[in-house]
Amino acid sequence: MAALSKEEILKRNNVSVQGSGSQPMIFAHGYGCDQNMWRYVYPAFLDKYKVILFDHVGAGNSDESYYKKDKYDSLQGYADDILEICAALELQNIILVGHSVSSMIAVLAANKEPSLFSNLIMVGPSPCYINKNGYKGGFEQEDIDELLVALDSNYLGWSSNMAPVIMGNPDRPELGEELTNSFCRTNPEIAKHFANVTFLSDNREDLKSLSIPALVIQCSEDVIAPQEVGQYVCNNTIDSKFKLINATGHCPNLSAPEETIDAIKTYLEEIS
Amino acid sequence: MSKTPKNTPEAKVYESAEELYHDAPCGYISFTNNGTIYNLNKTLLNWLGYSRDELIGHTKIQDLFKMGGKIFFETHFFPLIRIQGFANEINFEIKKKDKSSFPALINVKEIKGPTVNDNRYRASVYDITDRKKYEQELIKSKIKAEESSKAKAEFLATISHEIRTPLNAILGIGNLLAKTPLNAKQKEYSDILRLSSDSLLSLINNLLDLSKMEARQVELEKKSFSIRRLVDSLIHTFDVKCKEKEIQLLSELDDDIPSYITGDPIKLNQILTNLIGNAIKFTCHGHVKLIVDLNEIGKEKIKLDFKIEDTGIGIPKDKLQSIFKEFSQASYDVNLEYGGTGLGLSITQKLLQLHNSEIKVESEIDKGSVFSFQIEYDNYDFANPKANQIFDHIDSEVLDSAKVLVVEDNPVNIFVISEYLSDWKIDFDTAENGKEAINAVTKEKYDVLLMDLHMPIINGFEASSTIRNLDLEHQPAILALSATSRENIQAELQRAGIDDFISKPFGPDDLFKVLSHYIKTKHNLKDIKHISKSDNPKTASPSKDSGDSDQTFDLSRVIKMANNKPEFLRKFVKNTAISFEDYLADFQKAIQTKDPEKISDLIHKSTMSVYYIKSDNLVKLLRECQHILEDKNHKCSSLQAKVSEITSEFHNIIRDLKSVNIDELMSSQTTQ
Repeated sequence: MAALSKEEILKRNNVSVQGSGSQPMIFAHGYGCDQNMWRYVYPAFLDKYKVILFDHVGAGNSDESYYKKDKYDSLQGYADDILEICAALELQNIILVGHSVSSMIAVLAANKEPSLFSNLIMVGPSPCYINKNGYKGGFEQEDIDELLVALDSNYLGWSSNMAPVIMGNPDRPELGEELTNSFCRTNPEIAKHFANVTFLSDNREDLKSLSIPALVIQCSEDVIAPQEVGQYVCNNTIDSKFKLINATGHCPNLSAPEETIDAIKTYLEEIS
Repeated sequence: MSKTPKNTPEAKVYESAEELYHDAPCGYISFTNNGTIYNLNKTLLNWLGYSRDELIGHTKIQDLFKMGGKIFFETHFFPLIRIQGFANEINFEIKKKDKSSFPALINVKEIKGPTVNDNRYRASVYDITDRKKYEQELIKSKIKAEESSKAKAEFLATISHEIRTPLNAILGIGNLLAKTPLNAKQKEYSDILRLSSDSLLSLINNLLDLSKMEARQVELEKKSFSIRRLVDSLIHTFDVKCKEKEIQLLSELDDDIPSYITGDPIKLNQILTNLIGNAIKFTCHGHVKLIVDLNEIGKEKIKLDFKIEDTGIGIPKDKLQSIFKEFSQASYDVNLEYGGTGLGLSITQKLLQLHNSEIKVESEIDKGSVFSFQIEYDNYDFANPKANQIFDHIDSEVLDSAKVLVVEDNPVNIFVISEYLSDWKIDFDTAENGKEAINAVTKEKYDVLLMDLHMPIINGFEASSTIRNLDLEHQPAILALSATSRENIQAELQRAGIDDFISKPFGPDDLFKVLSHYIKTKHNLKDIKHISKSDNPKTASPSKDSGDSDQTFDLSRVIKMANNKPEFLRKFVKNTAISFEDYLADFQKAIQTKDPEKISDLIHKSTMSVYYIKSDNLVKLLRECQHILEDKNHKCSSLQAKVSEITSEFHNIIRDLKSVNIDELMSSQTTQ
C-alpha cells in the first residue's frame, strides 16, 4: 500500500493538535469510546504541552474507510497508526498517555520506535484480559462472549438497527434528531472486531521489551483491569512507577478527572 | 393512603410522589458516581427478588449485570453518560437474586453535583422480556431469509455454470453443422437449433450475471477502448434483425468524444445490447436510435450521456418502475407476444449501479420510449498499456506458421476447437490432460497453448505453472479455457503464469480474436528480438546464454508505442529504470521477511513495467522464488541461488536500461 500523506493520516484518525507547549503529549482513548474520553483531562495540560488527540480508526469521527480487517487484527495495527501520526506531525520526545487497551497499544508503539518517546502513562492497563496458566487477567472466554452479545443487542439490536432507516427518512426529518446516543458510536462490526482483538490479545511478552520509563495509574476497584494486573504490568516493565488512586471503575479520566490529572502531573514533575 | 374529596365532580385524585415512585410500572434506580445504589423502587425490587436493605449502600449497579454487561458498562455505558449527560435505551441482561435474569432497557440521566464525585445518576428500567422474544424471532427470520437468498443465488450460479458447459458443445456442433452441405429442411432445423441454443445461452448468461451481481461478485474493469468501435460493432450486430423487421437502426456519436476512453467496455456493451435489443423487440415500425453525447470532459474524467430512442409500443405509466424488477415485464401479454425473460432491464440497472449511475426512462404509449443514462469514464491515458491491444489485421502467413497445442479432456470440445483451427488453417496438436501437455511442450515448440483448467491427472493451473518453470527455448503463450468467471480465478491465473483467459462458451470469433492476437505478438516478439540482437547488442542484455528465454528485456513494444518520438522513449526508459530500482528494493525487503505474498505483490505491482519492456524472464524468476518461499521446507541454498540470480537479473535490466542508446534504437526500428 502506498504511504499516506500527512493530510490523509490526520483525517483518518481525526487528529487535533492544541496547546501552547512544545513537548508533545498524545492521549490515546481506550476501547468503547473516542477522544471525548479525555475531555475532562486534557485541558489541564494545554498550557505546558502540545496536546494531540485522535480517534482510533473505526471510533468517533475517524475515517472508517481506512478500516482493514487484516491490519487491525492485532493491536500492532493501531500502534502503527500512532507512529504514523507522530511522523506526520514530526513529533519527538513524546509523552504518550494510553487508557485501557491503548496502554498496550502505546507499549507496542514505543517498542517499535523507542527513540520517539520520553514517557508512557498507562491508565488502567492490562496486558492480557483472559486467565491463563496461573496468570489472572480477570476474565474467561465466556465473559468475552457475553460482551459480544451485549454489543450485539445494543449495536445491532432492534432500535439501533432501525435508527439509520428512520434517520434516513427524508419525509420525517424530526425523527433524525437526538434519536440515538450520539457520542462514542462505533460501526458495530468494527466494535465487535475491536472487542475480540482487545480482550483476546496477550501482550505480556511485549512489556518486557519496553525501554521507556512508564507510569501505571491504577483504580481502586476496576473490574476490567484489577489491581493485581496493574501490579503485574509494573513488575514486568524495566522502569515503571505504580500509582493507586481512590477512583473506582475503569474510566478515572471520566469518573475522577481531577485525581487522574494530579497523578499524571505529579509523575511528570518527579521525572523532570 | 389516597383520599377522595367528596362533592366535587372534577375532584382530583391525590397521589403521593412516593406512591408514584414505588408503584410505577417500571423500575427506578439511583446510584452514585462509583455505581453504588442508594435508592430503588418497589417495582424493581420485586423484579429482582431482593429486599431493600440487601442492596442499598453496598451493591453497585454493575453488580446486577452479568460479566459481559459489566464490561459493557465500564467501556461504553458509563463513558457515554459522562460525556453526553444521559444514555437512552441501553439493553442489559439483569441478574435476579435467584440467579435467573431478564432483559432490560435502561435510560439514565446524570444529576451533576458540585464535583464529579458528587454526581448522581437516575435510571428507569423496563422489563423487555416479551419484546426481546419477538426481536429474536425477527432477527432469526431475517438471518434465515438472508441465508436462503444467498443459497438461491449460489444455486443459480452453480446450475448456470453447469449448463454452460454442455451448451457450449451444442452451440459449437450447431455452428459446424450449418457449414456442412444441407438440404432445405436440414438447414431449417439447424437454424432453429442454433437460434434456440443462442437464446438459451443468453438466458443462462443473464441468470449468471444477475446471481453474480446479487452475490456482489462483479467488479468493473478498467481498460482503454474505442467507443466508436463498440457502437459500430453493436449496430452491425443488430443490423440483420432490424432489416428483418424493416425498421431503421441509427446511431449518433458526438464528434468531440475522444477516440479512446478508459472503463469497462464489456459492461457497456452489455448495457447497450440489452437496451437496443429491447428497443428493437418492442418496435414494429419507425426506428431505433442510439445517441452518445459528450457531457463534460476534464483532465481525468469524461462524462458521456447515452440515449436509446425507439418508436415502439411504449410503456404504461404505472409500469415504468416495475419493468426494472427481475422476471417482470410490463404485462403478461408482453411476455406472450414478445418473449424474453424480463431479466435484461434488471441487469442493466444493476450494471449502471456499479457505475454509480442510474437509468431514466420516458415513454408514451404508441409513440415510443427513451432510455437514458450517464457514465463517467476515465480519460484515456497514454500510459495505459491495453491500448495497443486493439487488433490489427492478421497476416495469414503468421497464422500458417504458428503451432497450437489444445489441452482439453472433453472429446466434444476437442472436436469443436479442432474444427475451428483446421478451418483457419492453424497447425495444432492435442493433449488430453496436463501431464500430456507438459510432455508435449518439451518435445515440440508451440506458440500458443489452449489450456482447459479442469482436467484429470494434472489440472490446467498445475500444468501451466510446471510449464512456466521448465527451461524451454521458447515459452508458449498459455490461454486458459474455462466456464468459471474470470474474476474468481484472476489471482490463480496470474500465479500459474497463464497469459489470458477465454470464457466458455466461446464462439469462433472470440477464439480467433484472442488466439490470433497471441500468435501475432509471439511472432513480433521473436522478430524484434532477432533484430535487436544483431543490430544493437547493447539493448538486448549481454546474458550468458543467447536463448530467447534468457533475454532480460525487449523494447519493441515501447518503440511501437513511442511512435517515432525519441523524447517519449527517452523519458520512458529513464522512468522504467527508476521503477526497477524500486522493485529491486521491494524484492530485497520481501526476501528479508521471507514472505511469498510480498513477491506476489511485487509481481503484480510490476506488471505494467514488465509488460512494456517484456522482461518476462525476471517475472519467471520471481515466480520461481515465490514458489521456493511458499514451500516451508525449502533449502536455504536453493533460495540463496535464486535470490542472487534475480538480483543480477535486476542489475542487468537496470544497467542496460540506463545504457540504452535511444537514437540508434529509433533509427534501427524505422529502417527495417
